[in-house]
Amino acid sequence: MTPNGKATTIKKTFSRETAVSIEIGADQAVIWALLTNAADFSRWNSTILSIEGEITQGEKIKLKAALDPKRTFKIKIKEVIPERKMVWGDAMGNRVFTLTKQGENRVLFHMSEKIGSFMFPLFASQIPPFDDAFEQYAADLKKEAESIAAAN
Amino acid sequence: MSDLSQLANEFEKCRGQLKSYILRMTASVTETEDILQDTYLKAHEKLATFRGESSLKTWIFAIASNLARDLLKSKKRWPENVTDICREEALNEPAMFAKSMFIRNNSPQGNFEIKEHIAFCFTCVSKSLPLEQHLCLLLKEVYDFSLKEVATILRTTEQMVKYHLHTGRTKMVDVFEGRCALINQKGVCHQCSEINGVFNPKQNTQEELVKIKMYREAQKGDKQYLFDLRMQVVAGIDPFESGAAELQLHHLEFNRRTMEKYLKKND
Repeated sequence: MTPNGKATTIKKTFSRETAVSIEIGADQAVIWALLTNAADFSRWNSTILSIEGEITQGEKIKLKAALDPKRTFKIKIKEVIPERKMVWGDAMGNRVFTLTKQGENRVLFHMSEKIGSFMFPLFASQIPPFDDAFEQYAADLKKEAESIAAAN
Repeated sequence: MSDLSQLANEFEKCRGQLKSYILRMTASVTETEDILQDTYLKAHEKLATFRGESSLKTWIFAIASNLARDLLKSKKRWPENVTDICREEALNEPAMFAKSMFIRNNSPQGNFEIKEHIAFCFTCVSKSLPLEQHLCLLLKEVYDFSLKEVATILRTTEQMVKYHLHTGRTKMVDVFEGRCALINQKGVCHQCSEINGVFNPKQNTQEELVKIKMYREAQKGDKQYLFDLRMQVVAGIDPFESGAAELQLHHLEFNRRTMEKYLKKND
């Protein structure tokens, strides 16, 4: 996938997968810190209204997203490999975040979410597209991480 | 490697800064005295391991930071509205006010100045930050260490120091913008002017306020600049040596006890 910050979605009968990649000119540990600091998330990420809880392995968080402000998503942090990979999920599907070092202060951020089940065709039309939110998420992360990197 | 006399000299030179740094981390005079003493003992014990990769002062601050972190990591952080909670508690405790008035009237370090209260207020409110953000902010913005030195003191990377500074500073700018009536007319907290009226009833508060640059510059609305000015006020005050030290330390001790009770009750 080209790391241009553009989201792509693959739709299948029983699932839908959206992904985005972007290259970020910042330190991997800083990007990871931004992605795992629940209390600070809504400050820099315009797609997230709030996250309650701790983003650590095995914990559950309550997330409110701009895409559907009335709902509170209860999500489990299923897998954490510090500074490299994190998987969040619920019964509907998983969101996978990965960070891959490309060079000194150059990191590839990739985020994908696959939702689906045998019942998916029944409610697929009610789930809004994620593309814009994914692109905004990646752009916000890049902007925040790079502004920290540029600070003196 | 450094010798003992160098350590003793350097420790004595930075003792004032170190002591105020520890106080601003712990908000406790007793814990400050303990950590200060332990820092010297540990530095003395570990002096042979000092390789001169940083300055001796940086090394001493690293030891103190570690000791304070060990003490603070199990303690809850304070809420942003700490001063509101403590004000309510103080209003219900006449003995606290009586002792304040006694200090005000009898101690050579019992003066009340608004700028002293600004520094006191920062000590309390900044304890709402996550610990690493708090330490980075103090070391960089109040004690003027470089990013590299802060990274050495806290055993992290410069990039992570930047991250903690950025997030901590952003939060503090927002908190003071929402709370401090000195910089925002809609700010909910007027305690510095209010208490000034109690301790200095004959003084014209407005005349006092205009002596403070942060207040004069508030109309310009540059939040980052106003925070820089707030940091200058804090950096310019030694909480143990100033003319208001005894009064402010009495208030700080009251706030610390109040917070301990509050956090325990709300656990």
